[in-house]
Amino acid sequence: MFMDIIIYISLAFLLFFCLMAVMSHSMLRSAIYLALASATLSVILYMLGAVWAAVIEVSACSGLVTVIFISSISLSKMGKEDVQKLFATKKQMGLLPVLLVFVGIALVILAVSHGFTLPSVAQEAADTFRTVFWDTRQLDILGQIAAVLVGGIAVSVLLRKDESEK
Amino acid sequence: MNYLNSVAASFILLPVAVLLINNILPKQFVEKRFQYLTGAVALCQMAAALSVFFMMDHAGLRTYNFTIFRNLPGSELFGIHPVSLVFLFCIGMVSLVSVMVANRTVDAKKSAYVNLLMTLLIGMNGMTLVNDFFSLYVFLDVVGLSSFVLIAMFRSRRALEGSIKYLIISELATVFILTGLSFIFMKTGSLSYKDIGSAVLTGSSTMQTVLLYASLILITAGFCVKAGAVPFHSWLPDAHQSADTSVSILLSGIVIKIAGVYGLFVLVDLFKGVKALQVSLAAIGILSVVAGALLALRQTHFKRIIAYSSVSQIGYILLGLSTGTTLGLIGSVAHVFSHAAFKTTLFTNAAAVHEQTGTLEIDEMGGLQSRMPVTAFSSAIATLSTAGIPPFAGFWSKLLIIMALWTSGSAVLGGFALCASILTAAYLLRLQKKVFFGKTPEHLASVTEVTGSVRLTEILLTAVTSIVGVFFPFILLYLQSKGLI
Repeated sequence: MFMDIIIYISLAFLLFFCLMAVMSHSMLRSAIYLALASATLSVILYMLGAVWAAVIEVSACSGLVTVIFISSISLSKMGKEDVQKLFATKKQMGLLPVLLVFVGIALVILAVSHGFTLPSVAQEAADTFRTVFWDTRQLDILGQIAAVLVGGIAVSVLLRKDESEK
Repeated sequence: MNYLNSVAASFILLPVAVLLINNILPKQFVEKRFQYLTGAVALCQMAAALSVFFMMDHAGLRTYNFTIFRNLPGSELFGIHPVSLVFLFCIGMVSLVSVMVANRTVDAKKSAYVNLLMTLLIGMNGMTLVNDFFSLYVFLDVVGLSSFVLIAMFRSRRALEGSIKYLIISELATVFILTGLSFIFMKTGSLSYKDIGSAVLTGSSTMQTVLLYASLILITAGFCVKAGAVPFHSWLPDAHQSADTSVSILLSGIVIKIAGVYGLFVLVDLFKGVKALQVSLAAIGILSVVAGALLALRQTHFKRIIAYSSVSQIGYILLGLSTGTTLGLIGSVAHVFSHAAFKTTLFTNAAAVHEQTGTLEIDEMGGLQSRMPVTAFSSAIATLSTAGIPPFAGFWSKLLIIMALWTSGSAVLGGFALCASILTAAYLLRLQKKVFFGKTPEHLASVTEVTGSVRLTEILLTAVTSIVGVFFPFILLYLQSKGLI
């Protein structure tokens, strides 16, 4: 029961982060929300017993993809004002949360009426996750650290102003 | 064996150590000595690759698994075999050349260059040392990201355009590879090389066959994008032209080989029995050889011609792989080495010419042979090696590939590959003629020979191309006597 509640809370967070990724007026924040959504999804996957999928979601999506997004955003000159201008022409985006709430209610009604239940949660998932991530995917952690490091270097190299620019 | 483990672990630990040193010591101190710091890592890598080869040979080992942190779990995750040692040696050699050229071309951001070169080394070494496809993917992304920042870091408009193009296409390729790997994982339940090798061809249901072929198409396409093979080559000339020459050397000399060709080596090794893979590689290979050479003929920018030449030469490596024979594999590995040698020579020549003339447009040059004799001579040797003229290194590797094609029943492809060498000679001789021969334009009348580390690099690389060419048959005989061929 406790695990089910955590899954429901995680699903709510996932929805929130996805929504914020789409609605945010800052590209950088969108990328960060997307990374958070990806991390939340990996938590859900792990709790449902899909340990390998969770590990790959954490490795590939939360880490590497975020680094790529942030590097690209750093390179683009588009500021917050430009993004807001773009958003100004797309007012229908404001209806997105309302639409999601309606879809959510419809899905709950559908699930209750058809007696859907959550898949059984793998109790041993914590141990398996640790085993998979640390014992058998140790090299990936090294690769991940290197990737995050490159992202940090990218931001410092590409965002820092040259003497001539100053 | 402990000594062997320590030397092997240095492939990962040395770049990490230099990365730390570069960021701990004062920036001015490091920037003044960056060439010694990074050059030492590259030299150590070359020495370590040779040492590990002889130690493994002495111990009678064909493969060697090792760990970098003995007390941590997941030991013996890295593995070394003779092919990976050739790649590791080439990584060291090309990195050394890049550092020697960067000594003259990189003025600002030396510290960032060191950081990115070290992360690139970690990524490339990691790719060649892992025994698992997913780990290979993770290190592949490290290589892709480091290359992207290296291209973009000088922040000219052209560099940014080239880097963004590289980033988008490169990440598309990694998506292909990851999707293909997930299909393989669905079938095998593991991405370890040894598990894939034994499990991938079992099971004959239609769904499993579809999954297998879908994964092969996606992974092959992904690695071909990374290798810059036709028709996935559109990013390569822009990225190579727009980057600083020290970075172009890395990209053309080794990155496309590790990120693309090495992945295909692994794929061909694991899917030996899949004929469709060999046919696909042969088709992509011959297309790259011919189209790359034809496109190079139309270019007027020094670096762009060499970039298209890389597309063409990668085609030869793929042709060798497509045979699926030991001879083809040896030819491809030899061509990886000889291409690394002659292509880095040509890029170093480009750096020398650019430094002395301020341009790389070949229509604006001429008659530099008398003013830059060392550069002209090394460029001529590299051209002869690229065109496959004996006795230089490129001749032997191309000969092995054509022989492998001939003996494996692909005589037509062998004939095409042979004829394409004429095209190679044509575009490179045009380059030689326009840059080094003919009448010198007035604005280049005061040009003199390049000095310092760039000239030293040209001399060293010319010596490597010539000496390896002369001794190539003896190297082959030695490897045969050791049972490696």
